[in-house]
This record gives sequence, structure tokens and C-alpha cells, in this order.
Amino acid sequence: MLSLLKKNKWWGDNMKEFNPKLTIGIFSALVGILFASQVKMNIQMVTPVTINSIQRLELEIKSLRTEVEDLKLNIEDKQNYLTLIEDSNHSEKNIISVLEDERDKNMLLAGFKTVEGPGVEIVMFDNINSDELSFDFNDGIIHDVDMQNILNDLRVAGAEAISINGERVLSFSDIKCAGPVIRVNGRSLGTPFIITAIGDPKLLMASVSAPGTYAEMLTKVYGIGIQPYTKDKLVIPAYSGDFSYSYAKTVQ
Amino acid sequence: MVYALIGILIGVLIGFLLPFTYNSAYTLYVSVAILACMDSIFGGIRANLEGKFDATIFVSGFIGNAILAAFLAYIGDRLGVPLYYAAIFTFGNRLFDNFAKIRRIITSKKKN
Repeated sequence: MLSLLKKNKWWGDNMKEFNPKLTIGIFSALVGILFASQVKMNIQMVTPVTINSIQRLELEIKSLRTEVEDLKLNIEDKQNYLTLIEDSNHSEKNIISVLEDERDKNMLLAGFKTVEGPGVEIVMFDNINSDELSFDFNDGIIHDVDMQNILNDLRVAGAEAISINGERVLSFSDIKCAGPVIRVNGRSLGTPFIITAIGDPKLLMASVSAPGTYAEMLTKVYGIGIQPYTKDKLVIPAYSGDFSYSYAKTVQ
Repeated sequence: MVYALIGILIGVLIGFLLPFTYNSAYTLYVSVAILACMDSIFGGIRANLEGKFDATIFVSGFIGNAILAAFLAYIGDRLGVPLYYAAIFTFGNRLFDNFAKIRRIITSKKKN
């Protein structure tokens, strides 16, 4: 390429006879023009586009898209509800029945309704083998912490309704040790404890029998009896007590 | 040195006065090209001071280096690897190299 440039008839060999200072000055001016145009663009920072940043952006876009989809579904839901209420004005299904349906739904979700469905029934009892007791007799007894951990495992597995010895466990239910018994919702329950949970029976079963779960550790290490059974139909009673907030108020 | 500075100043003035802009997507390529051009100019100044300035080599280096640097940046963008680092490193390195030589030549001239 250089030889080509040299043999070019317009530039010829007198290329070398150009004034070096002038040549450098002219090309410096070119750089100056480029420089000025770059500055004019007023760019804060040119960050390199790496595979990592592209992937991060892609993930962000994906999550935003799913969020948009969710919101669209939400809008559709609300619109359906709106039309339902509007239609109730001039149809046999009046506003009261719509509101009653709504209330029933909310009561079901809050746990104030008796529910039935497939799930697991877990029978729990203290270590009955007296000779397997360790130094501390407390080790062989079911404590509130054990109960809470097992309930948590069940919730992780997707349990929709849980009860202990027929006492519905809700979000505000307390589970407390009281000597040889456990108090749930302020009521004392004795062994054996029967935990019933409605949900996917396979998942719930796995959550209390799979290796590495808290329940497995209780049975293997402390000798506490945990016998889970899957059931096609379980009935979990509604929360029987009365509950109302006296301190928490809705934010306006 | 002085003529290059004057040239750059004139160029900046012209650049600010002319309504010449380009797509902001090309800023990375242009900035790498500017670095390559600056390297060429320093190389030209140095060659001039050493008395072996060749306009052919200067012009071909000026244009070729700029195009190669911009091309590297472009390829890097396509491949997802910041290849323009290579251009920045090489030309930045040579820039300081050339400047060091220029300094040495000027100071030795003054001593004489």
C-alpha cells in the first residue's frame, strides 16, 4: 500500500518534499475537528457493553415484561369485577349477592371458613422409648420451636390451610410451650399432636419426610415420633375464636 | 510542537463553528480513532524533530491507524469483547513514548 501511494502520479515522489510542519498542522486541525465534534455531543460516559451487562439488561427487561403481563391481568380482573357490579343494577343478581360472594371469598382466604381438600395428616408424639433418652430429657419432647419449624416447612411446600389437633393455625396464631402441652390460639393441646395440612399431598409429604428436613432430623436424632399420611380428603375447621385489631389501623 | 498545537486549536474552532455531528452510537469508535490520530501526530512531530519525516508514512499511519482502531472497537462491540482496549493500550503507550522522545530531543537541543 505504501509503495502504491509513493508511485501515485499525483503525489509522486515529491510527497517527501511537503513541508512537515504544514502537514502535521493540517492533520492536527483534523484531529481538532473530530475532538470538537466529540465534545459537542456532550456525552457523560461511554461505558463498554459487555456480555454481562447485556444479560443483566435482558433479565431486567424480562422481569419488567412479566410485571406488565401481571398488571394487564390485574386490570382485566378489575374490569370484570367492575362490569359485574355495574350489571348487578339491572339483573337478578343484585349487589348484595355480589358483596356476599366477595365476603365469603375473603373469609375463606383469611381462614374463617371450614375447608376441605387433599393433603397430609401428621401424627407427632414424644420419644416413647425411655432407654433412648439422652442426658437431657427435654430432647425427647416436642417443643414449640419444633412445631413452628414443621409448620414452616409445610408452608414452604405450599400448605393452604393448617390445623393442630383441630385448632386452625392462622397468621396471628401463637404456638407456645406450656410444660407438657403446647398452647395454640390460647388453647392447650396435649400429645399426640395431629397436624393436618391441605395442599399438594406429594409436596407436603416430602416436606416432612425427605432427608435433610427438620422433621427427619427430629425423628432420627431425638427419636420423636412423626408419622405422616397422605389423605385424599381432609377437613380443616374454621378459626373458632374472635379476633379483632385494637392497635393496628388502616393507613388512609 | 507549536504548529501541532496551533493546528489543533484551529481544528477545535472549526469543529465548534461547523454544524457537523454524527450518530451518538459512533462516539466510542470516534474517540478511539482520535487517540490513534493523536499518536500519529506525536509520531510525526518526533520524526520531524529527528529530521526523518516522511509524509507518506505520516498520512498513511494517520488514516490507517484511525480506521484500524475504530474497526477494532466495532468488532469488539459485535463480539461482546472490549477489543478497543488493545487500541487504547497500544496508542496510549506509544503516545507517552513519543512524547518522552520529543522531550529528550528538545532538551538536548536547548543544551546545545
